[in-house]
Amino acid sequence: MSRLRYIAGKCVWLVVTLYCVVTFNFVLFHVLPGNPVRLLARSGHLTPQAVADITRVYGLNHSLPDQYVIYLGNLLHGDLGISYTYREPVSQLLGQYLGNTILLLFAATILTIAGGTLFGVIAANRRGGGYDSATVTASVIGWSLPTFWTGLILAFVLGVWLHAFPIFGMETPNAIYTSQFQRIEDIASHLFLPTLTLVIVNIAQFVLVARASVIEVLAEDFMLTATAKGLLPRRVLWRHAVRNALLPIVTSSALLIALVVGGAIEVETVFSWPGMGLLVYNAVLNRDYPVIEAAFLVFAIVVLIVNFASDLLYQALDPRVRES
Amino acid sequence: MSSESSRRTFLKRAGVLALAVPGVAATLDACAAVATSAKASTIRVGWAIEPDTMNPLTTYSTEAVEVLQLVYDNLIHYSLKLEPEPGLATSWEYSADGKTITYKLRQATWHDGKPFTAADAVFTFNLIRSKQISQYAQWVADLSSAQAPDDRTLVLEFSAPQAFNPGLAVPILPQHIWQGMSASDIQKDANSQPIGTGPYKFVNWKHGQSIEIARNDGWWGTKPAAEKITWILFQNEDVMGQSLRTGAVDICPEIPPTIWDGLEGATKVKTVSMESFSFHHIGINVSDNAQSGGNPLLKDLTVRQALSYAVDRQQLVNVALAGHGEPGSVILPVGFGDWHLDIPQDKQLDANPAKAEELLEAAGYKYQGSATVRTAPNGKPLSFRLIAIETTSVDVAAAQIFRDACAKVGIELTLTTLDANTLGATVYNAKAPNWDIFVWGWDSGVYDPDYLLGVPLCSQIGSNNDVYYCNREYDQLYNEQSVEIDRAKRLALVHEAEQFYYDAASYIIMWYQDKLQGYRTDTWKGWTPIRGGMILNFTRDNYLKVQPV
Repeated sequence: MSRLRYIAGKCVWLVVTLYCVVTFNFVLFHVLPGNPVRLLARSGHLTPQAVADITRVYGLNHSLPDQYVIYLGNLLHGDLGISYTYREPVSQLLGQYLGNTILLLFAATILTIAGGTLFGVIAANRRGGGYDSATVTASVIGWSLPTFWTGLILAFVLGVWLHAFPIFGMETPNAIYTSQFQRIEDIASHLFLPTLTLVIVNIAQFVLVARASVIEVLAEDFMLTATAKGLLPRRVLWRHAVRNALLPIVTSSALLIALVVGGAIEVETVFSWPGMGLLVYNAVLNRDYPVIEAAFLVFAIVVLIVNFASDLLYQALDPRVRES
Repeated sequence: MSSESSRRTFLKRAGVLALAVPGVAATLDACAAVATSAKASTIRVGWAIEPDTMNPLTTYSTEAVEVLQLVYDNLIHYSLKLEPEPGLATSWEYSADGKTITYKLRQATWHDGKPFTAADAVFTFNLIRSKQISQYAQWVADLSSAQAPDDRTLVLEFSAPQAFNPGLAVPILPQHIWQGMSASDIQKDANSQPIGTGPYKFVNWKHGQSIEIARNDGWWGTKPAAEKITWILFQNEDVMGQSLRTGAVDICPEIPPTIWDGLEGATKVKTVSMESFSFHHIGINVSDNAQSGGNPLLKDLTVRQALSYAVDRQQLVNVALAGHGEPGSVILPVGFGDWHLDIPQDKQLDANPAKAEELLEAAGYKYQGSATVRTAPNGKPLSFRLIAIETTSVDVAAAQIFRDACAKVGIELTLTTLDANTLGATVYNAKAPNWDIFVWGWDSGVYDPDYLLGVPLCSQIGSNNDVYYCNREYDQLYNEQSVEIDRAKRLALVHEAEQFYYDAASYIIMWYQDKLQGYRTDTWKGWTPIRGGMILNFTRDNYLKVQPV
């Protein structure tokens, strides 16, 4: 019962936060200097009537408060509007780009979290040894590598010199596939370099967090108790130490997921990956309000849901959170 | 001991992984090679800017027009010599007064199988005129009627003689698809499957990735060799250059100077530098608007002349543009051939700081005490704001050189960089333009002097006129040339207008940048270099004429 009330309370806050985010986004982008119609007008002789037509189609002829009310009304009907640049429904555009970003980040995120935790736990278990110092050094180096630079180096070495992987796009342009399997292979080869780049630059924080947190738990008295009970060292490590050390990792994972949905913009730029980063970047430059607002709404929803999920995970993992 | 053995296992594991990676890579590479279609049937173009929309009436991007010009036919097209050649019109003639143009049209078929008739052409011109829609509206402003006496004849009547033939610019649209749409319907239409009469049929546009068109075997002209053309979007120009090197693309129409330099001498890659129809300039706010926030000292011609004399155009080209351009002077770039007025170097307001100081001294702009900035007779310092687009690195570099050059003659400039949209909104705030000097550029929308000469018109204030210059005498010159159909007479008028605007010094044209392109020599042959570029130019013929190697 109290658990249900807890979840219900969280949901109410979720809705209130979303409303605030929507309002904030609307105000923020509309007060940015610049004007979407003005940018078009520079590209060609635009008659005053055409400017008026476009302004009306964009809905910019209304006052700002009216635009806000119209925007909220449309949003409640699930209508995200029409992109100023592409003249296509925003939901359709967003679907394509979000799908591409999720495809790119799914493998990278899983590999980063699982691999990072694994390496970190092993390092903690052998702290002070050669493996430990090698891991820590590698992590610090990985952490300090700029994403953009790492991507370019990988592209030049593995792509241009060794010809091992394609360096741009999601699919081979004009490819004719004889089977669906071939298409999957093609996409997988395009995924390799961006995924590798993301893992290299992101894995360090998981290695270091997992290592530090496991080391801390290993020093606790109950670890001694567990060993004294005669449990196998492997069981002591994975069931008793790691489980208790998971909380900071869950927090980091929530942060990482929230971060990456925004589009790993640098990686997308290096490898010309058609994801959210590209969409948002262009939308900001073109003052494509409907696209920016919708994209940030999606980011907000993802962040809120991930945080909500990590709250629930805390409860499952740690009885202390459940009781308080 | 145990840690020793485990380290070895780790190293062993790492070794296996290291061996496995190239293996996997080779397998994937082989798959990718299988998946690629035969090279010689497709022209693969690499570029870094994506079109906005496939709707020819709402697009404002050069990239969209590049694709659409192969899907839609115009009445007349440009040849590889940038001379008019037949499109949907097999011939055309002007009436004696230059106000009526009669086009004889050919048999053609829309991509959906319906026949093309003169009614489609009439519909297109009437649609653009009545709805005042699209960038083509400027060419039908004087149109008084469009008629089709028969299925193969189009007659356009204008209220004034037309120096520019609108048949060269306007894509002909199918009436059966576009009729019944309101202006607002058209604005909202993405036109995601364009239907034209052109040499290629639209296939698809994967947003953020590529656009593909396929040969229309029922086209009226000589069948082009390329079965398909694909434009591939790169978000990173370094990777674009590398892809030309590896052979992943066949041609790149816009390569940044440093990357272009790096590609010179690469195997099986040919780099080409051509004159363009573009310039970059320093614009000075000369608005007469009482609400203008521009510094009133800039309305003094002497100050503007001094600014112009202070900076060396050749240095701007050498440093900011890495040498890939020509020093600028008049508003029509060198790409326009004889339309460009050649002003002798000694008559140019260029690279003469001593002259700048002399002019300022004579007009009473003097140093007070040990000041490094001159003061006007009214006591105000010669100190101005300078704005440039932060992402356009050539402009920022040029602005810095300009600032330093002006400091040497006692004029202080404070440089601020802004994003393109903010700069545009600041400069074009016609109600109250609150800025002094900016840097950006223009690209001619058509191969005719009219477009660029039209920028400084009084009537373009609130539209293209970025420095709020307004002079009735200049307007008069512009109007005379725009209705003069005798080329020699028009040429003289155009030159006069160029000199007139040059003397006003509200534009300091820094350079005419080169169009830097590159192509593979092992896939397609017969790319013809021309002014404005082999592709991404006013002619589509290079796409239609190249042959597989």
